[in-house]
Amino acid sequence: MSNDERDELIDRVADELRAPVTLDAGFHARVMAEVRRPAGRWQAAAQWWTEPRLRVSPLVGLACAAGLAALALLGARALERPLPRIEAAGESALATEPGTQVVQFVLVAPSAASVSLVGDFNDWDPSRTPLRSAATGVWSVNVPLHPGQHQYAFVVDGKDWRPDPAAPNAITDDFGSPNSVITVGGKSS
Amino acid sequence: MRRVILALVLAAAPGALQGQDPRLEGRLDPATRAAVAALVDSARAADLPTEPIIDKALEGATKHASAERIVAALHNLAADLRAARGALGPKAPDADIVAGATAIRAGAQADLLDHLEQARGKDGLAVPLSVLSDLVARGVPVDTAAAAVLNLAQHGAGDADFTGLERGVAQDIGAGAPPGVAAAVRAHGGGAADGLSQGQSGGPPAGVPANPPKKGQNKPKGPPAGHP
Repeated sequence: MSNDERDELIDRVADELRAPVTLDAGFHARVMAEVRRPAGRWQAAAQWWTEPRLRVSPLVGLACAAGLAALALLGARALERPLPRIEAAGESALATEPGTQVVQFVLVAPSAASVSLVGDFNDWDPSRTPLRSAATGVWSVNVPLHPGQHQYAFVVDGKDWRPDPAAPNAITDDFGSPNSVITVGGKSS
Repeated sequence: MRRVILALVLAAAPGALQGQDPRLEGRLDPATRAAVAALVDSARAADLPTEPIIDKALEGATKHASAERIVAALHNLAADLRAARGALGPKAPDADIVAGATAIRAGAQADLLDHLEQARGKDGLAVPLSVLSDLVARGVPVDTAAAAVLNLAQHGAGDADFTGLERGVAQDIGAGAPPGVAAAVRAHGGGAADGLSQGQSGGPPAGVPANPPKKGQNKPKGPPAGHP
């Protein structure tokens, strides 16, 4: 290409670039309509996947945080407390009978490995109503009882009989180890 | 004497092996089991509740008591049940007979059971009599406990009121009140924990009868002061 031909090409390109841009009257309207058109469901999902955005108000954020904290606490307590055992068959059977009242028996025995409740409501069978250690050294169990007086005792580690320190001893001691007594009331007058 | 009774019971035992409670199997040796079965049959024939007898035998078995001791305990229990049946009559429910036997063992007189039955009507005596023996177990003199329970019954108290009385007395005793005073004051709707000096008499105070009223005596009307 000669110098003259090159100069002519440069002038044509320059003239083209210098020429003012003219837009038809509907261009602006068409552009804005396209911008404002709502995105389709799949298009929006794809867009969220490539550019994830989550808008949360401070109040909702606070509620979510509180909920997560509560779930964490419940989970921690569930880990601390062993699941209820199914062995309380006598307890379940009593619970279905009308007129019973649930009584909680508690014994503080920090050095105990196991504690059972025996009484006239479970045939004095140490295997029927084991206590659970909800906190360190605090053993407890809930037992539904019929109205009236009941005698009972705790058996610690399978051999050590202990009356309930929170209840009176039975008047009679026929076998050399005292029982405790509890009276369960029924309806009020 | 107990050895003789045990020997007689054991001699009559073989016939009692049939129909004995299955809960006794594996808990007692065959001879003791048969003796218990004979006592249960005897109680049943006398229209006494048999469950407390079996229960007492199971308690003795769990506590590894000797056969002689178990049979002796069952004889004592059967005697108390018989006394309660005599006081409450043939129509009394088993629960009342059992509670009555415990109250009699605690020192309650048979006429108290009769007066309580009149005061309670169809409400049953199991809870009032159980509370009575509980109060005695807590150190309340039996006359005071009997008066307190009878007083509540004559004012139409419900079962929960009797157990409430026992809770209140236990609370007052825990706070340092003498058992007899705590029961007497609570029976009239007060709390004995405050303002009581140690060493007061355990007997009933003025206004609380030590003995139940005679039959036909008019019942007081209206609830006592502070009645729950």
